[in-house]
Amino acid sequence: MVRNLIRETRFLAKDRGAIFWLFLAFLLSVVAVSFGVAEVREQRETIAALLEEDAADRANALEGQEDWGSAAYYAFHLTYAPPSDFAFAAMGQRDSSPWKHRVRMLALEGQIHEADTRNADFGLVGRFDFAFLAASVAPLLLILLLYDLRASERTMRRHDLLVATAGSPRSLWLPRALVRVAALALLLLIPLWIGTLIEGAAMGLALQATAIMVGSLLIWWLIVDLVSRVDASPSILLTSLIGLWLALAIVIPAVSKAAIEAGNPVPDGGEILLLQRETVNDAWDLPKEATMEPFVERHPELADHTEIEEGFEWKWYYAFQQVGDQVTEPLVEEYRDVRLARDRQAGTASLLSPMSMVERAFEQLAETDARSMIAYEDRVRDYHADLRAFYYPLMFPEEPYDSELLDDLPSYTPAS
Amino acid sequence: MSTITRIAREEWRLWLRSRVVVAAALIVAVLIAATSMLTAGRIADEQSQRTQQQIAAEQTFFAQPDRHPHRMVHYGHYAFRPPPPLAVFEPGVDAVTGQSIFLEGHRQNTAMFADTKAAADLGGFAALTPASLYQLLLPLLLIVLGHAMFLRERESGTLAVMLAQGQSGTKLALGKAAALLAVIAIFMVPLVFVAVYSISLGESALAAGSMVAGYFVYLCIWGAIVLAASILLKQRSVSLGALIFVWLFAALIVPRFAINASSAAIDAPGKIESDLVMLAEQRKLGDGHNAADPAFMQLQAEVLEQYEVETIEELPINWRGVVASYSEAELTDLLNSYAEERMGLEASQSRIFGLFGLASPTIAISSASRTLAGTDLATHHRFLRESEALRFGFVQALNEKHATELDYAADINRNADAEASRRARVNASAWQVLDEFRFEPDGADARLERALLSFVILLAWLTAAGGIVYGAARRVRL
Repeated sequence: MVRNLIRETRFLAKDRGAIFWLFLAFLLSVVAVSFGVAEVREQRETIAALLEEDAADRANALEGQEDWGSAAYYAFHLTYAPPSDFAFAAMGQRDSSPWKHRVRMLALEGQIHEADTRNADFGLVGRFDFAFLAASVAPLLLILLLYDLRASERTMRRHDLLVATAGSPRSLWLPRALVRVAALALLLLIPLWIGTLIEGAAMGLALQATAIMVGSLLIWWLIVDLVSRVDASPSILLTSLIGLWLALAIVIPAVSKAAIEAGNPVPDGGEILLLQRETVNDAWDLPKEATMEPFVERHPELADHTEIEEGFEWKWYYAFQQVGDQVTEPLVEEYRDVRLARDRQAGTASLLSPMSMVERAFEQLAETDARSMIAYEDRVRDYHADLRAFYYPLMFPEEPYDSELLDDLPSYTPAS
Repeated sequence: MSTITRIAREEWRLWLRSRVVVAAALIVAVLIAATSMLTAGRIADEQSQRTQQQIAAEQTFFAQPDRHPHRMVHYGHYAFRPPPPLAVFEPGVDAVTGQSIFLEGHRQNTAMFADTKAAADLGGFAALTPASLYQLLLPLLLIVLGHAMFLRERESGTLAVMLAQGQSGTKLALGKAAALLAVIAIFMVPLVFVAVYSISLGESALAAGSMVAGYFVYLCIWGAIVLAASILLKQRSVSLGALIFVWLFAALIVPRFAINASSAAIDAPGKIESDLVMLAEQRKLGDGHNAADPAFMQLQAEVLEQYEVETIEELPINWRGVVASYSEAELTDLLNSYAEERMGLEASQSRIFGLFGLASPTIAISSASRTLAGTDLATHHRFLRESEALRFGFVQALNEKHATELDYAADINRNADAEASRRARVNASAWQVLDEFRFEPDGADARLERALLSFVILLAWLTAAGGIVYGAARRVRL
């Protein structure tokens, strides 16, 4: 076997076509990984700069405030999801879902749907990241490397002779294909491993990524091998394989996506906003009790401090902000549930398409999948709740304003 | 002429006999038909839904009861962007940007609830549109059909016979080109239908016609590339492999590479980033809610002098309204300058992306097609600008009501008791100041002008590819 492999490696070194495809694979991998690393760096720098400016802005905003209400009104807080150490390999949803917000203690639903995303063209076309290379381009390269192993020998009229002299067909085709698959896998993976080292991502991630890559190449090898057993001309084989690639890369994902989205309609986001807005605005004209009653239901511990005597009091203002959030809760939950359900079903549907599966698997490793983006939103919600938990016990019992207490303002911590 | 048609007809006869070719063509045709119908239905729904939402938002605004005018500034309004007619073919960036925006005083919000945020994630190609089928799939079909057109004659030895009979290589190539052109013409039919449909929805014939012409040129470029490969290369599988490489490069790799490159070349700060820089400046302008802010002292002196009175209480207008209007104008100038800078940077990123059309005709056609459809980044930016103008318009009109129709004394005492708060209101008829907003795509000329560079690039591609075919055909030897 070893001798066979060495022989085939020598053959491969002389096959200019194959060398070209392999070199291309390596080059593309280098490009994908280096752009990914650069982008992740830029995002980290952005976050570092934002953190600094955010702290300065908050300090400035809090200076000279005289009551809890104004402090909470003017102080914004940065929340963000830093790119993971493996995000360079799959930018995933980070181009189309927001990963940074500045929130304050007003109604959260008016703030959390703000989308500070990049240039819309980026989200539309997508990036050339390693996940895309591994999912869509690598199978094509593999097809181009393997489709005419048998057929080219047939065209050269050596096929039958080779098979007859080789002892068993396995000792002939297996090493030949194996050498090519292994070379392709290595050349694709080496830049990824280097990227993993540079970014300091966990070894486990690199191993999983390697397993996904190798697994997907093995599946495609099997497909190519089955198809190319057919005694047809190389160009017909290649045409059929490309057709198969198209079906798996485009048709099946598109059909599943359309079916999943039709089966799980999301509530209209505008409705959430509208309802929240109407509730908050109507509160100004309603008797104060109409706001304070639903508020106290959530915060029975503050029940003794919810008497509103003046025309305007901050407690009342923040109470109706919160009631605005409370009213939209069912819609918001539905929106979130549908997104999760769609993602779950997309996961199931991706079993039918190796491309979707690989891309989703990489996004999961890189924490740039839909689930991670929703997890980020959950963290923002938790943090916003922390802000309320900080201010309410000071604001409602009308504790005297003490700016030093603001040093204990909860600070946002991103997922580690 | 008859030789050329005879060659073309022979090519067609062979195609129709090949099951692979017929199957491939049928599958592509079914895909195009299905996608077009699905997209047309979806876009029609969105169109009517958003128009209704826009009308409903206006009516709720008008229907608000008597209130303090500043309450209406914060009550706010919505702007919706219904998809333009040609979006049935090319939905463009609309799915990524979000198509509704909340408008309120003192803030510029982002467009929210983009479809992609809640989309089922199945990888890069799952969002299938008629336009992407034309851009990606049809070239591949042309490759499958045409990669061996010329080679076949060489392989079977008929090339020698024809050349010996005195047929020139150019004539032979013309015949093959005619056969491919017929295929392209047939596959243009669905697009022509969609274009006619969009005209019936109110699209200008110029834009729809240019869209058809653009895709025709694009497919001809691919036809020429395919023909050139089949003349220049000597083996079927080499020709097919080379063409698939070209397709892989032009349709999959270069567009995404161009995104990486334009994002790396120009760093466009996000809104939060530029907002933070701006906030520091904004603080210098003073808070419009607080009319006693020192930043307004100079304004106060000027206004008092203008009305020749000593105190703000003596002014015939409501000082708080004057301050609100003044600070909104100042703030909006500042917000707009930052927003313009951000949009400018994004536009330059997209320009760099467009220049990559020189490396891939797929980029050129996709830019041209988004622009012509009115679903490009520039149109989104115009939507942001127009909705900002709408926002500024109603906020300032309300501030004007605040200044002229609400008594100052009543205004400052508005929180004293229920009766005082009732007195600090203006009649609901004042809400009629809100302008009706119906977002329309740019005129066809403007869109065409914007797409000009992409069209020039496409024509350059056609000339280059056509030139190679011509040169290769003239030099055909055995």
